[in-house]
Amino acid sequence: MPLDEYDKIAHLLRRAGFTAHPDEVETATARGLQATVEDLLNFEKFPDVPPDPELLAALDLSQDDFNRMRGDFLTKLTRWWLHAMATTARPLQEKMVLFWHGLFATSITGLEFWQQIYLQNENFRGNFDPDTGRLLRPAPGNPFPVGNFRRMLEYLSKDPAMLYWLDNQFNVKKNSEVGSNENYARELHELFSMGVEDVVARVPNYTERDIRQASRALTGWRVLPRAVGFTFPRVFSFDAQRHDFGPYEHLGKRGGTNADFIFDNIVRHRNPGQKQSAVGRFLGYRLFTFFGYEDPEPEIINALADVFDGAHGEEPFNIRNMLRTIFTPGNIVSEAFYSERAFRARVKSPTEYVVSLMRLLTFDRTTGRPDGLSRSSTAMRLIQNAMIQMGQQLFAPPDVSGWREGLAWITTTSVLARFNFANDVLSLGVAQGGIDLARLIAQAGLQEAMQQNRYGEVVDILARWLWPAPPSTEAREALIAYLQAPIPNVSPSALVTTKIRGLIHLMLAAPDFQLC
Amino acid sequence: MNKTTRREFIKKSGLTLLSVGLGQQAFLRQVRAASESVLTQAAALSPVDRILIVIQMDGGNDGLNTVIPLTGSAASLYRQYRPTLAIPEENVLPIGTDAAGTLLGFHPSLSPLKDLYAQGHVAVIQSVGYPNPNRSHFASQDIWHTADPQGMKRTGWLGDYLDIAFSSADNPLLAVSLAGGRLPLTLRAEQVLVPAISNVANYQFRTQPPGDHENKMQAFLALNREAAPEHVLREQIRLIALDTYESVQMLQSGIRRYTSDPAITYNQQNPLARALQQVAQILAADLGTRILYVSIGGFDTHQSQATPHATLLSRLSEAVAIFYADLVRLGLDDRVLMMTWSEFGRKVFENGNQGTDHGTVGPQFLIGTRVKGGIVGEHPSLRAEDLNPGLGDPKFSARAIDFRSTYATILEQWFLVDSREILGGAFELLDVIRA
Repeated sequence: MPLDEYDKIAHLLRRAGFTAHPDEVETATARGLQATVEDLLNFEKFPDVPPDPELLAALDLSQDDFNRMRGDFLTKLTRWWLHAMATTARPLQEKMVLFWHGLFATSITGLEFWQQIYLQNENFRGNFDPDTGRLLRPAPGNPFPVGNFRRMLEYLSKDPAMLYWLDNQFNVKKNSEVGSNENYARELHELFSMGVEDVVARVPNYTERDIRQASRALTGWRVLPRAVGFTFPRVFSFDAQRHDFGPYEHLGKRGGTNADFIFDNIVRHRNPGQKQSAVGRFLGYRLFTFFGYEDPEPEIINALADVFDGAHGEEPFNIRNMLRTIFTPGNIVSEAFYSERAFRARVKSPTEYVVSLMRLLTFDRTTGRPDGLSRSSTAMRLIQNAMIQMGQQLFAPPDVSGWREGLAWITTTSVLARFNFANDVLSLGVAQGGIDLARLIAQAGLQEAMQQNRYGEVVDILARWLWPAPPSTEAREALIAYLQAPIPNVSPSALVTTKIRGLIHLMLAAPDFQLC
Repeated sequence: MNKTTRREFIKKSGLTLLSVGLGQQAFLRQVRAASESVLTQAAALSPVDRILIVIQMDGGNDGLNTVIPLTGSAASLYRQYRPTLAIPEENVLPIGTDAAGTLLGFHPSLSPLKDLYAQGHVAVIQSVGYPNPNRSHFASQDIWHTADPQGMKRTGWLGDYLDIAFSSADNPLLAVSLAGGRLPLTLRAEQVLVPAISNVANYQFRTQPPGDHENKMQAFLALNREAAPEHVLREQIRLIALDTYESVQMLQSGIRRYTSDPAITYNQQNPLARALQQVAQILAADLGTRILYVSIGGFDTHQSQATPHATLLSRLSEAVAIFYADLVRLGLDDRVLMMTWSEFGRKVFENGNQGTDHGTVGPQFLIGTRVKGGIVGEHPSLRAEDLNPGLGDPKFSARAIDFRSTYATILEQWFLVDSREILGGAFELLDVIRA
């Protein structure tokens, strides 16, 4: 059964962004599906979230001063990003930053300077220049978050966070076989660009020797202080004395004097007899798994790989073109994206759970926008602790291969953590950064319906606000029964708020809200 | 009873009694009766009733100041390399000689552990580590967690054991971590879900206000009881939610069966003692839990380590001793084996800040009534030629013991399973468990 127009637009908004509040769907419907897709893709025409002055100030602290506020810095950074996701006018940009954080997984546990992880996040937004260590909005030439993947590999590899995290700063010229540290060269192939095997042909993409040769080309890359007097080293630096100038033998080609040779080979690499590139397929697979559904069919992966390869004359290696193919109706990939199989078939990550919850509960119908996260430290502590329990601490993925997505997010611990987080955030006073329930009740028109015992209507309104699909008959009955069930010792005036709060809590804890 | 049937059981027979208005106590009794009937059956069918408690000493314990050489070259070199940190000889608690004839003793803070040692309940495994030691906390911990020196595995060694031994098992509390909200990699499995519980008392569904709790839980169950087989993901999520509900009920009703004893006082200022008290509560509830995991942090003693390290060892031994006494009281000591581990030992030379830096091998303790007490292996040699050049920590030499030997021994002789699949090979077994 094909999705109807409302579901298509709501599905697009939830996947390319974080939520589909009925008002957002209405606005998008008036604009039309095609125009909405282009608005999402060409996000540069909408304002970006502003940088946090406190984060910027932390970049210039002495290392001793910074170390005294390390934990606080992580809290501020986490709050800034979650708030950005919850309030942005560029939802697809934030989704892609989240995608790159998961794919190019880097953790503060491997960084001496935690500030570097903030700069990497800005790098993933296109706002960082690894050669100067400067933040510019945007940094000229930076291809993130949706530009040229060939250049992304360069910006990723030169980012000091990555040079620390995977030890490439220690990689120096050794011999004609290998550099002194092959860690980064390995992950560059295995995790960041193509994977061990071609995701369609299931043949090995490269040999151990390709890794070793690539490590030669990545030698001489260091991290140095930006300038004398700065303790915080955040600049990529090339040391010719430590560099192996080649030529290298890599993926069947011989030549090169530096890593450009390696990056060029990687993005163009095709296995014998294969029409599509290995990287195009890998990224097609990863992107469709992230936005569509898990384990996409080979035809979908190949169609996306063709776009990456520029098979139809388009600019090659362009991520935005791949996203356009996923979201614009009228091709085999988007047909799958808007199919029944994709609908409600993504398990929300803890980040998506928290962001969608905060977006929907703080959605202000008068401005048409969510308020997002408060600056309350009580609320932030609650959110950070809950996300750890849910299994996703931003900026601290479990290892370089990132988080295991999908059903792996749902465990007994995380079910309880999601349930309790929803309860706690709804129980928090507005002054402590809690939800303005009174406004939500007023804007949703729930007060009158409750007082007149029109419980079914209350359930329907909130389900439309929070759930991706209307409640089943059984779920509707269970929720109505909950609204009817008496609470001892609660005044009639408090009863409406208490029951609405409880109903929202139940809806946020139900299986339906875990999916998008 | 396999997973589906248990869930069917909870879903249909137990919980359909939860019509609106049923009182909470009656409701809890229903669930308890339901889970007990299932679980007692499962426990009786099980070939082994043995329980493992893993105690992680997080940060890299200074093994050289834990088990201290008192004679031979090791003793003189120890005092030479550690001018401020060496424990005065008269304070060391002698425990006996190792295979090479070196007299060894415990750090004075391990006095309660010394008493257990004297009763024959402690095996001290010396010089435990692995070849090509990694001195990064995270990398080395991952190696210990996964038993994979390549660091490629994403499941833990005990997670693998759970998957293999209990693949069709039926108990959401087969293993429990009490080491904070994050599940230790050791217990990460492909199939078996292990709850990570920061505090048993908090392992509950929180709702506001209390008077509405019962209403809300009934609605929550109703939402998760609704089958929609055509929507596979939703179906799996709701089944895990029911598992969660069941594990909370089992735990919360179970721990009430634990009664405290005035003679057994867990020091509430000692976090490890608090965690082990909760372990005792879970074991007393007899919920079929096979593995419990606790952790004590702070062993990364780079500076002024004497006092903090003594405090940590004191907490460790105090907690273990009171927990052991409690197990004896509960009649469970025969079924419980404790294993300590730390990601690495520390360097032989103290650094310039009266601390020690990341090193290699260290001692491991096995504790329990069925442990063969004594010293296993030899104290690491501190001679210059036996240290890693330029690094100053003991080489992983022929006299050292691979940590996977400890694991293999536990898997083979405690859990009575084949260890090779889990550890990726056969490792020498240690003579530390009494049959």
